[in-house]
Parts: sequence; C-alpha cells; structure tokens
Amino acid sequence: MLWDELKSLLNFSAFKAEADDASVPWNKRFEGRKTLLLNVGRSQTSWRSVNKRGVFDDGGVMDGDFSDIAPQRANEWRMLADGGWCVVSVNNRFIISLEVNMMRGENCTSLLQTNPRAVLGPKYDRGKRYGICHHPDTSSSMLLACEESLVKVTEDVLKTIGLRPGRVCCGLFALTEHAIHEMYVTKRLNTAANFALVSACEGSVAIVIQQDGQWKELRSRSGMGPDSVETSLQIITPLLQKLPQGSPIYFISDGQDVKFRTEVMSVLEKMGGQDLTEEDLLWKVIGTN
Amino acid sequence: MSDYLCHDFKTPRNDTSRRLPDSFKAIPALFYLALVVTAYFMTMDWRAYKKAEQDKIQAEASKGQHETKTKDLQTEKVGLDAETAKAEILAKWMEGARNVQPISVAIARAMPTEVRLSDLSLERSDQVPANLALSVRINGGSLREVGLMESGLSRLQYRSYAPQQSKEGDVIQYRSTLIRAEQ
Repeated sequence: MLWDELKSLLNFSAFKAEADDASVPWNKRFEGRKTLLLNVGRSQTSWRSVNKRGVFDDGGVMDGDFSDIAPQRANEWRMLADGGWCVVSVNNRFIISLEVNMMRGENCTSLLQTNPRAVLGPKYDRGKRYGICHHPDTSSSMLLACEESLVKVTEDVLKTIGLRPGRVCCGLFALTEHAIHEMYVTKRLNTAANFALVSACEGSVAIVIQQDGQWKELRSRSGMGPDSVETSLQIITPLLQKLPQGSPIYFISDGQDVKFRTEVMSVLEKMGGQDLTEEDLLWKVIGTN
Repeated sequence: MSDYLCHDFKTPRNDTSRRLPDSFKAIPALFYLALVVTAYFMTMDWRAYKKAEQDKIQAEASKGQHETKTKDLQTEKVGLDAETAKAEILAKWMEGARNVQPISVAIARAMPTEVRLSDLSLERSDQVPANLALSVRINGGSLREVGLMESGLSRLQYRSYAPQQSKEGDVIQYRSTLIRAEQ
C-alpha cells in the first residue's frame, strides 16, 4: 500500500483525479485513456467508446436485458476501456420530480452521493439514489430518484465482467441538466420567461414547463422503449397546451434514434418547437462533462 | 461543450483518496532533480576513480623504472665509493711519502770531518710512509754527533721516536724512528 502511494506520487498520478472522482469532468479524469460509455435501458443497451484522443469510436446497440447482454459483450467492452473504466447511464426505473427549497451549496452534490438524507431530509427514501438540478434563479429544483437495487445490480454485473463504473448517471436527467445549463448559464440572455423543455433518451421522456420564470410542472416516464412515440406525445402534449401561445418549446434527445426524434419533432414543430439535439449528444454529455 | 458537470450516483468507494494539491508536485520534482544530480556526481566520481586508477598504474610503472634506475645508480655509487676509498688511501700514502735525500744530506752535514758514517739506512714504513726507520753507524764519533744529527733532522721537521744507541768501541750504533712533525 505504501509502495503504491509512493509510486503514485513519483509518477504524478497522485495529482490526477481518481477515476471515479465525481467532482472532475470525465474527459479530464481519463485524458489519454480509452473509456466505454453505456446506456442501459429496460430492454436495450447501447454503448460507445471514447478513444485515447477523446474522440468517439466504436459503438453498438443490443436488445435484451442488461444482465444477459453484458456477459456476451464482455470481451468487446473490456477491449474498449483502459482499466475497465466506464460510464453507465441507467435509463430505467427512475422518477424526476419538481421540488422547492432544496438544500444548495458547493458540497451538496457530493453530500447527495454519500449522505442523501442530509440533503433531502424527509424526502429521502432509503431505496433510492439521487441526482439534483437547481433552477439558477429560483428555489425550484429537479430531483432524480433512481432505484438503488437497479444501480447495485448494474454495478455488480459490470464487476462480474471485469468493468469498473467510474460514473453511474441517468442519461435523460443528464440531457435535461445539460439543456438547462445551456439555456440559463451559457445562453443566459435568450432565456424566455415561459418555455417547455422536452427531453428524450432511448425510450424515456421528460418535460418541464417554465411559466413566469418559474418551473411549474414536470413529468417524466422511464423505460418505455424506442417505439413509444405515441406514449411520449401523450405525456408531453397536455403540458404543452398549458403554455401561453407562442412560448418556445425546446426538444433535446440522445441524438441516436433519428426516427423517434423526427416523429416527435414533426409534432413539436407545429407548435414552434426547436430541436437542440446534436449528433451523439448523450455520449457527449456523459462522456465529456 | 460547457462547464456543466454531469451528476453521479454510483456507490461510493471507501478506498479512494483525494488528489494531492499541485504544490506537492515539488516533492517528486525535487526527487527526480536529486536523482539527476546524484547520477551526475556518481558518474563524475566514477570517471575520476577510473582516471585515478590509470594514473596509479602509470605511477607504479614509473616508480618501477625509477627504482631500477636508483638501484643501478646505487651499484655505480658503491663502485665509485670503493675507488674513492682506494684513491684516498693512495693519496694519503703519496702525501706521506716525502723524499729521503734531504735527510741523508742533513745527517751527512751534521757529521764533523773526522767522523765517518760506515752505514746509513732509511726504511720507509709500509703502513705510514711518513715514518722512517733510521739506522746509522758512526765511526769515531761520540754522543755529540748524535745530538748534532738530531738537531739537523729537527730542522727538517722530523723528530726521533724511541731512539736507541749503543757504543761498541769507536762505533756508535744509532736506531730511531723518524716521525714527521705536522705543521
């Protein structure tokens, strides 16, 4: 142990972030190393590798349960990840809800991972893992609650096949967070008082409505599968109708399922929808930030 | 991409350690610097050691040559010393070997006309050439002639050592060792 510490000091790796240090962006943690990005859905798993230069490389999609897919793809995935490090997007069995007056602070994110009860108080549920996204200007927050058993099973499956998750997140929530950050922080001046943000990620969908600068409503559904355009529209449409006429509607998706994206946008465009999706956006969001 | 940081709810590990602050990079940097400096000095010392070894071999070879030369010179010196000693002995002998003619003349002149010398011998000592064994037979003389003879010899810086004289009738037998008095 002492030798390992000395070795890490002398080869300067002690000054680099740990592979699973959540406070450091993924591309900084794994500069010059190959990593694997996984998006685990209810009945489908997709993956993409990031090569040593940080460029997206091989990828694929496979239908079935993750615990069945993983052993079949183990060798391929291990080849795509130096040291077996990967990002897992759990895209199933989660709920995103709207909360107010949540605890905020610099250490809030790490505290939510280590001691969620301290952050959430009575809202804490023992069997859940949490993620949070605060409204930059108001006291509203989006709270992600994912089934802990699913996270643990996913981690165990990965451990069995020799992979090490450096980050476990929710792709849909990550896309929503990214869009919120882009709208409020990067392009702050263009943020409208009223808007709707529709997020979709491989069969999961979420919609958040902002009215008069406040997040008013949020609805999400996970694990619907890729052919769920109708169901998704049934979730989205009632909330969109509550928006004042002419309010912008933003749509963001994983950037892989062109069919789903086209069909949803064909409906949203009629209501003035704008597509914020970029190619491989899910991989960019979870594999870069 | 923006500076947005993706959320993470993976099971936290217990064996993680926080990264060290950048200022601590001085520690390995100093270590490597010390390593380089040490390697430099070790290399220089090693090269100096190798050079010293070669110098030692050369010095030993030179010492051997000098010792042989010294030995030769000492042998030559011993020979020369022996020659010098011989020469000194010879020179000393030559120094002591003075002419005996003035002694004969001085003895003859000391004798009055009525006295005759029937026998006169002067023998140089082999060991001390300055010493002469004098033997004189004086016919018709007396002890006065002996005194005159010693006076004459003393003028030549000789003195008699252990003189013996005997008289048999008119003949006086006189024996003495003449020793040259140093100036």
